[in-house]
Amino acid sequence: MNDEYSIEVENVVKAFKVFRDRGKTLKEITLFKKRRSYEKRVVLNGIQFKVKKGEAVGLIGHNGCGKSTTLKLLTKIMYPDSGKINMKGRVSSLIELGAGFHPDMSGRDNIYINASIFGLTKKEIDDKYNDIVAFSELEEFITSPVRTYSSGMYMRLAFSVAINVDADILLIDEILAVGDIAFQEKCFKKLEEIKSRGTTIVIVSHSLNQIEKICDRTIWLHDGIVYKEGATKTVNQLYLDYMCNK
Amino acid sequence: MYWIKEIYIYRTMAASLIKRDIIGRYKGSILGFFWTFLNPLLQLIVYTIVFTQIMRMGIDDYYLFLFVVLIPWLFFSTCVSGGASCIWLNKDMVNKIYFPREILPFSFVTSNLVNMLLTMIVIFVVLFFSGKGFNIVALLYLPLIIVVEYILALGIVLLVSGITVYFRDMEYILSIITMAWQFLSPVLYDISMVPEDILFFFNLNPMTPILTAYRSILYYKQVPEVKTLLHATILGVILLFVGAFTFSRLKRHFAEEM
Repeated sequence: MNDEYSIEVENVVKAFKVFRDRGKTLKEITLFKKRRSYEKRVVLNGIQFKVKKGEAVGLIGHNGCGKSTTLKLLTKIMYPDSGKINMKGRVSSLIELGAGFHPDMSGRDNIYINASIFGLTKKEIDDKYNDIVAFSELEEFITSPVRTYSSGMYMRLAFSVAINVDADILLIDEILAVGDIAFQEKCFKKLEEIKSRGTTIVIVSHSLNQIEKICDRTIWLHDGIVYKEGATKTVNQLYLDYMCNK
Repeated sequence: MYWIKEIYIYRTMAASLIKRDIIGRYKGSILGFFWTFLNPLLQLIVYTIVFTQIMRMGIDDYYLFLFVVLIPWLFFSTCVSGGASCIWLNKDMVNKIYFPREILPFSFVTSNLVNMLLTMIVIFVVLFFSGKGFNIVALLYLPLIIVVEYILALGIVLLVSGITVYFRDMEYILSIITMAWQFLSPVLYDISMVPEDILFFFNLNPMTPILTAYRSILYYKQVPEVKTLLHATILGVILLFVGAFTFSRLKRHFAEEM
């Protein structure tokens, strides 16, 4: 693998089985065999791209074009049917926040649980704990159970953990709508800072503004292939024109 | 077996899941952690009444005879029946984020092991106060047999938790199987009471040598036979390999199935 790239996606194909009516119990499997018929829907049909180390890339495309699937493949939540994906370094994903949060446990305990799911050791979390709490602005509530949090507080806590994991690659899916405007501003600043430290970032978003703010390059997915790729401004404009004339 | 290394890398996650499991289990219940002790204790009382007063077994200190294997048995049966759903119940996590999937069965079995070790303290207290006493040399074999039972339980949980994701009935089938399994394992009776002509089938049961060894160490105060230990270890390791291999095949599509 070439040293220059931290993400290499080669010819990746991913298809899902779309069931008409999926049953998983014994009764459903044996009695309703016919209902279990399914269609194969190809979501990604041989996509190919590379991301350089330290680069920030935006993934755009209409609903269902395979953006989120691509991100899930990059995180290894799912595996491709064929093709190869090479990732270099620790991956942190802001795909869905708050994995493993336990409502009855305090904010503090949940920071430890959640950060450990990103593969951090106890010592690493100890070192980062203060940064995480400070970033979330939840100092007063950190010993209360998470179930007493408002949904905004919950998301802020989850976001603070994910963004403070020192990852080599950061994957973000449509979640920069956390908290109020001030907090969002803070998130963008943090992302800039992370980027300047040489972290590779991949963002999926429908908000072209957000992408323009951070990304150097945009990849436009369409019908399961990389349709266009290039400088953010150019590709975004083409995409906008296409969507308006649709 | 790359996953063993990965579990080491994610050891803090495993530790916090185990902690969450043990502390979270009885959170909100009044007796809390005491349920861990009360449940086996009540079973012990019921079985002892039945098998000393009604269907008389004629075994000295039957409650001790039973108690020293009932605790290991309950560890195993809880793992098998409860472990089946350990992936399914965490589907939010599995669908959201990458971590070695083996962590889930691993921490489930380990947290149950911790539970068993805690209840074992009660066994030692009872053995001490009953005047039965211990054989120190035999006790040296206790950690070994606990490890073997742990390996076996882990293998089976890896196997059934993976299958349950694709086949939800597994969980309910297993709760019936574990009930039958208990009566077909030497929990309530001794292996020496099993007729010669069906002994072969009993020996296929990996729990037979394990329970025999526990009873030999704690009740008969004897060093378990090498034959028994080997028998237990071989069956345990085979099941771990079968479980780990099946799991590694099934885990790739977990996120799509749930």
